[in-house]
Amino acid sequence: MTEFAQYVASGLVVGAIYGLIAIGFTAVYNVTGIVNFAQGDLAMLGALGAIGLTVAGVPLAPAVVLAALAVGLLGVVIERVAIRPAGPDVLRGIIITIGVGVSLQGVAVLIWGTDAQPLPAFSGEKPIDVAGVTVPPQALWVVGTAATLMAGLYLFFARTYLGKAFRACAINAFAASLMGIPTAAIRALSFFVSGLVGAIAGIIVAPIALMQYDSGIFLGIKGFVACIIGGFGNPIGAALGGLLLGLLEALATGYLSSGYKNAIAFVVLLAFLFARPGGILGELEQVKR
Amino acid sequence: MKRVVLLAAALAAVYFSGRGYLVNLAVVTALFALPALGLSLLMGYTGQISLGHAAFVGLGAYASAILAKSLGLNPWLALALAVVATTAVAWGIGWLVFRLRGHHLAMATLAFGIIVHVATVEMRGLTGGQDGLSGIPALSVLGLELGTDRAIFPLAWLACIAAILLAENLVRSPAGLTMRAVAENEAVAASFGIAPDALKRRIMAISGFYAALGGAIYAHYLGYISPGPFDVGFSIRLLLMVALGGFAGIWGVLFGVVFVVVTSELLKPLGRFDVVIYGVLLVVVMIYCPRGLLDGLRLAVRAVGRRFAGAAGGGRA
Repeated sequence: MTEFAQYVASGLVVGAIYGLIAIGFTAVYNVTGIVNFAQGDLAMLGALGAIGLTVAGVPLAPAVVLAALAVGLLGVVIERVAIRPAGPDVLRGIIITIGVGVSLQGVAVLIWGTDAQPLPAFSGEKPIDVAGVTVPPQALWVVGTAATLMAGLYLFFARTYLGKAFRACAINAFAASLMGIPTAAIRALSFFVSGLVGAIAGIIVAPIALMQYDSGIFLGIKGFVACIIGGFGNPIGAALGGLLLGLLEALATGYLSSGYKNAIAFVVLLAFLFARPGGILGELEQVKR
Repeated sequence: MKRVVLLAAALAAVYFSGRGYLVNLAVVTALFALPALGLSLLMGYTGQISLGHAAFVGLGAYASAILAKSLGLNPWLALALAVVATTAVAWGIGWLVFRLRGHHLAMATLAFGIIVHVATVEMRGLTGGQDGLSGIPALSVLGLELGTDRAIFPLAWLACIAAILLAENLVRSPAGLTMRAVAENEAVAASFGIAPDALKRRIMAISGFYAALGGAIYAHYLGYISPGPFDVGFSIRLLLMVALGGFAGIWGVLFGVVFVVVTSELLKPLGRFDVVIYGVLLVVVMIYCPRGLLDGLRLAVRAVGRRFAGAAGGGRA
């Protein structure tokens, strides 16, 4: 039983990260109709940026904030320079965001090399013991940050004026523009939010999982799988999908084998794509266009 | 046909120039061109994205190497079996993934590519894991082993030219028209009596055939393979070659392959910088030259020329 609880605990921690990345995907997808294949690379860049700043002598807290904001702004730049000129074509969007992701990885290699980089844990390494289940203190940071961020985003979308404009664009960008909503600015905002959330996800997980230039691919794919599980374009589904994927992965790794840990996400992906492309919460028709 | 003759003449010039470096580059070009042409048939002409094409190259290479080395089959037989098997796998993958389209298709093919790559790393007993397989027997013709650049050159380019002719025939045939119809609009194509899914599976199989052939020749030519060259990065480089060539255009894609091979040689002194260049190039080509680099350059030259002509004629365009 303790063993099971241990797996569940570690699964929820990883799942929170997948959920955050999935929310990043969702923010961009809902407003622009583009799946940003560079989403995982933004998380990687956030983590490596924060690490770089702490190595340069910046205290941890400002380093985290600076790195997250910088990646958010980078998202805006990417939207302006690479996404907007390309138009709405799906295939072009995919290839362009892949190109962006590859460039980001290349830049990361140039700056940080190919070695994995460590980030010091936010509050020490001493494991916390709760009824036989041991968790590193960083796990609490991960779950706490993810929960705060998700709640904050929910309030932003549901309660604020800007959030309402955002949702209007997601429902129908053309009609929103007729209502006087500056859709271009909202698109930029969606990339800012997704960059910010992605970077924070990368940063808070960095002390647990080492980050290197190509960590982004796996983070990105797992975030995408979380989106698929939850139904693409549904932020609450994305968060739940992330948690579910994290749980599945932790349990399968614990009880089956650890060598194929990464394969589990793909099996789940393929299973959902073929059996239930609309996800658990999504509408089937909308996705299977 | 004229182009094929010109290509053959250029190749003969390279072959008899006696410059080992040029011959080596030409062999590399041929081996990249095979999977790139296959990807062009699938992406350019049929409009279906694949982000896992390196997997088919890897499957062809590993299957042929394992059959020849571990089972001791004649390398030619191993190559043929490997190519046929990979073609069948490609058809099967097509049966799975073409239920999806757009982003979902892209992610599913990417996942397939990563699964194959992980499998080649993890299945140490069969593939040798990260260390790879060495001592793969070379193909031989009349006792002559095709293990060097000069020896493999004729075979690699014969295969490549055959692939070009086949592809040209295919896209000019009625089947080629149905491919374009499916790429344009599946619903309309279906209303004409074309079965889009069956067609896509068939093109996927042909595409897998091309990729596996390139991979298998590569394995016997080098005598050593490891999982590294068949990773997602290679799939993306194939994508770049096809994008540079304007997706639908056999000769354009060949140009894209040459361009990537030559630039990667030129960028070697810069070390890891090449990845950034590839990424940026992919974005720039997709935005500004959706019909390929050559077409984009032609348009740019014409626009500049017009501006100059306009300036000479009183500044009014």
